[in-house]
Amino acid sequence: MGKKNNEVMNLKRGKMSNESFINLSMLAVLILLFALASIFINNYFGVPTALNLVANNWYYIILGIGVTFLLVSGHFDLSVGGTLAMAGMLSAYFVQDSAEGFSPLASGLGMGYGWAIILALICCMLIGVINALFIAKLKVASIIVTLGTMSVARGIAEVVGLGAQRSANLPEIYGKVGNLSLVGPIKIAAVIAVVLVLAALFVEKKTVFGRRTYLIGANQEAARLSGIKVERHIALLYILSSLLAGITGILLASETKAAISTRGAGYEFNALVVTLLGGTSIDGGFGSVAGTVVGALILGVVSSASFSLLLRPEWQFIMKAIVTFLAILAQRYALDRRSR
Amino acid sequence: MRNKDKLPRVRNIDARKVVKEAYVYVILILVVVVLTLIKGEVGQRGNFLFWPNIAQILRASVPVIMVSAAFTFIFITGNIDLSVGSTVSLSVVFYSILVLNGFGFLPALLLTMVLGAVLGGINGLLVMQLRITPVIATLITMSAYQGVARYLVPKGISAIKSGDVLKMPEWMSDFSRQGIVDAEVSKVFKEISWAIIIAIIVIVILVIVQKRTVLGKYMSAVGGNRTAAELSGINAKKVVWGVYILIGVVTSLAGVIRSSNMSIGDPYTGIGLETEAIIACLLGGTVFTGGEGSVVKSVVGAIIIVFLTLGLKQIIDPYYQTLVKGIVLVLAVALNHVLTRERKMAQ
Repeated sequence: MGKKNNEVMNLKRGKMSNESFINLSMLAVLILLFALASIFINNYFGVPTALNLVANNWYYIILGIGVTFLLVSGHFDLSVGGTLAMAGMLSAYFVQDSAEGFSPLASGLGMGYGWAIILALICCMLIGVINALFIAKLKVASIIVTLGTMSVARGIAEVVGLGAQRSANLPEIYGKVGNLSLVGPIKIAAVIAVVLVLAALFVEKKTVFGRRTYLIGANQEAARLSGIKVERHIALLYILSSLLAGITGILLASETKAAISTRGAGYEFNALVVTLLGGTSIDGGFGSVAGTVVGALILGVVSSASFSLLLRPEWQFIMKAIVTFLAILAQRYALDRRSR
Repeated sequence: MRNKDKLPRVRNIDARKVVKEAYVYVILILVVVVLTLIKGEVGQRGNFLFWPNIAQILRASVPVIMVSAAFTFIFITGNIDLSVGSTVSLSVVFYSILVLNGFGFLPALLLTMVLGAVLGGINGLLVMQLRITPVIATLITMSAYQGVARYLVPKGISAIKSGDVLKMPEWMSDFSRQGIVDAEVSKVFKEISWAIIIAIIVIVILVIVQKRTVLGKYMSAVGGNRTAAELSGINAKKVVWGVYILIGVVTSLAGVIRSSNMSIGDPYTGIGLETEAIIACLLGGTVFTGGEGSVVKSVVGAIIIVFLTLGLKQIIDPYYQTLVKGIVLVLAVALNHVLTRERKMAQ
């Protein structure tokens, strides 16, 4: 409460809001890290690296949109990684020929590509419905429910993919969508990510739906008393998050023209890390998709730089942990100082 | 509580209590019956209910069972520890390196347990001193411990194992694989390894800690209502910190058993263990918002989940495991919800 009053004071005194403050500080961190990496690594600084950062992290950005909205409303979604793998696998299964004589991994339901995608996305949204049912309706802790649906979704991917991958007998178009390139390494998927981010920013700032999300995260009881249908709202957010995960999964599977059942393992944690790096509060009620984009780019700089500098991929895990840890501490410190 | 329960009440509340107390055992019996009837002749080789088969599953799953037992404590205090899987991985690698470099069994075991205490202490530090939300704090350490575990394995090999120069000692696998008696003495006890005995001792200690010590009482108090507990003079910080260290030690011991069972130090071995521990605790009726839980029931829950995953593996293809685990977790959440709601209504 004190913080809120303080924020009003800050605004009155012509200072910027806490949200812009956090966003700008994380942007400064990103620039600092990029500069450091450029100093220590030969040929790091340059347009190709910057383009690669966007090109290689678009999936965290798309996943991060749903996760950010949910975190702002005070909920976790750990099921996105599994849902992503399920989407790719189901779309492959639906689209493969149903002709006899192929091996089980090469034959599917023989649908058209459009129908296959739509059906796969509907299946993903069902995962969101299960999440919503348990979390919004039955009030079970979101972390536990989504840990369960994470396994369910990945399990479906593994069963449909017979524990392996479906890459044979896929139509041309299956591998096209994810590989259409626009500028250099920038593929259509990155463009979709940008469009989705802009849409999310609009929803977040300019629509009733967006503002209600913040209110629910800040004080669920107050939101309910002021007439917001909290349960329906959270349910919609979960379904939205699963849908975004599904889109990501289909694009990723298309990129490699193969549906791999282990695809996206650990992405749910990275999406959460990216959101936290972007300044979204773990307690809900505060945060922005803009920050999440910055967070994704920070994670991108950290992983690419640690890979080039230290030459062992294992360092990524440690660096990720350290950066997240420092970011959370720094955010708390900064906000505490401001509200003093 | 006690007095309330003794008051004469409507009968169906008693029925609910019975259901709540007994359901986890009923599920265990159901799982065993179903697995037994699916394949083979009851009690013969090839059937699930064949003692060497069950003993083998238990030997392989001692780590999961131990971690689940300790995990109950962290749930009781109202916190969570997602780093247990990575702690197991790191302990496995650390222990294997020590053994490979000529340490004896006891020194290596003790050093690994010290490592576990340190890892648990770091979790406690992040959660209690730096006030980072438990989910995020243990997510950070999960990533960090996993990274260190992978880093400790030299470049180019997948796990710590016998190389050209250094060889794993032959006793490496005895702890988890050799029976406590020879086959001539008793066919039944031959299947029981020292690791199982250690696990039973650990579980008994945990039960005693919960039921008979102040730490047990304080845990429930902190998990039930932290402010009230602190106002009545309990140092919540110390309690939660102690529980994190305890779970670290038990988890590292589980890591030693795991690496002894596999005779190598595999840095990937702990992945997903936290999910299994959570399933086990939920099946055992632990209230994940804190305050209530039973170590014995979590152990039964863990046995259910290992019977389901490893038992089913003998019958159907292994790639069904994740799905089974996920469905069981979701069902356990639903069941847990129903039972907790009934408890609230009954009060």
